[in-house]
Amino acid sequence: MDISDADVISAMKEIQGYIDITPSDFREIFHIAYTHAMRRIMQSRTARDIMTSPVASVQAGMNMADAVHFLADKHYSGVPVVDEAGKIVGVLSEKDFLRRMGLSRPTSFMEIVSYCLNNKGCLVSELHNHTVAEIMSSPPITGGPEMTMDLISSLFLEVQINRLPIVDDEGKPIGIVTRTNLVQSYCALPGGKS
Amino acid sequence: MKYWEKMRGKGQSPPGVSLSEVFWSWLGAFSGIALVALLHYKLLDQLGMQLLMASLGASAVLLYGAIRSPLAQPRNVLGGHVLSAIVGVSAYQLLGAYPWLAAAMAVSLAIALMHLTRTLHPPGGATALIAVIGGESVHNLGYWFVLMPVGLGALVMVIVAVLVNNLAENRKYPEFWL
Repeated sequence: MDISDADVISAMKEIQGYIDITPSDFREIFHIAYTHAMRRIMQSRTARDIMTSPVASVQAGMNMADAVHFLADKHYSGVPVVDEAGKIVGVLSEKDFLRRMGLSRPTSFMEIVSYCLNNKGCLVSELHNHTVAEIMSSPPITGGPEMTMDLISSLFLEVQINRLPIVDDEGKPIGIVTRTNLVQSYCALPGGKS
Repeated sequence: MKYWEKMRGKGQSPPGVSLSEVFWSWLGAFSGIALVALLHYKLLDQLGMQLLMASLGASAVLLYGAIRSPLAQPRNVLGGHVLSAIVGVSAYQLLGAYPWLAAAMAVSLAIALMHLTRTLHPPGGATALIAVIGGESVHNLGYWFVLMPVGLGALVMVIVAVLVNNLAENRKYPEFWL
């Protein structure tokens, strides 16, 4: 969706007086100004503004099956993992289970089914006697509450993660920025969908 | 964009203005030029001085017909005319022996100077040219040409623009002073 010459001409008609700029010049200025505005907003909105908070977490020593039930109950696809002091030590997500099952790259559900048809050992029933600490991604990639949307977006792209736990100075999770949070913030920008 | 491609001019012309805009443009221009011309013919001419000059006609187009334009703001009108006049008089005094060169230098340097000082005002180019080709009456003024007719003439035009343009409900002048 883009602003058209016709839009600009209609706007110019609504404004009284002769405006000595051509519609295409105006569009050019508009696009550049829009880019600047987006950058400014992305650099001024921080994790604190967009994160989901508070955030649930699981203990590193938790039984893996319990962790799975917890994630399934809450419809979480990933959570921060904390030690006994409440300090973050890792992140547990679907990706970690897939890796544990021998599937390392991003995978669709059909690929999992196909894989399991050929590999009996892929069933996760033997997870019972293991702890979260054994399969979590560690050390965790985390951010501070002042991290800008701009930086978070590039981090997501760079290291291929879908969620970023936000921690305080002591390393305790105070929130989490997920891809959904980012998408919602983009939509709330000028010209966004909502 | 390729050189030849640029010449196709595929953009669109801005829309025309309403009749009320036409009326206010007319009224402003009539008042501004009338005042300058009255001062010129009824007062200054008899004292051997002048105020009316062709480039003020060009300024009227902007001051009363395109009042939102950056080119029409007081900074541009006054700065553009005065700086161009200085350039024009200097060009004549230094290069008067080569009128073609003096004329070209006057206009081109006036534009450069107006750009550098953010006072671009197209009629300034005419003012610079008048300083060179305006004949005896202009040449005899020397640098006084800068103050009168140019400086004073432009000032009267701006004052009328401030007074008349703001009479219209949906007109506002100036956008900025400096």
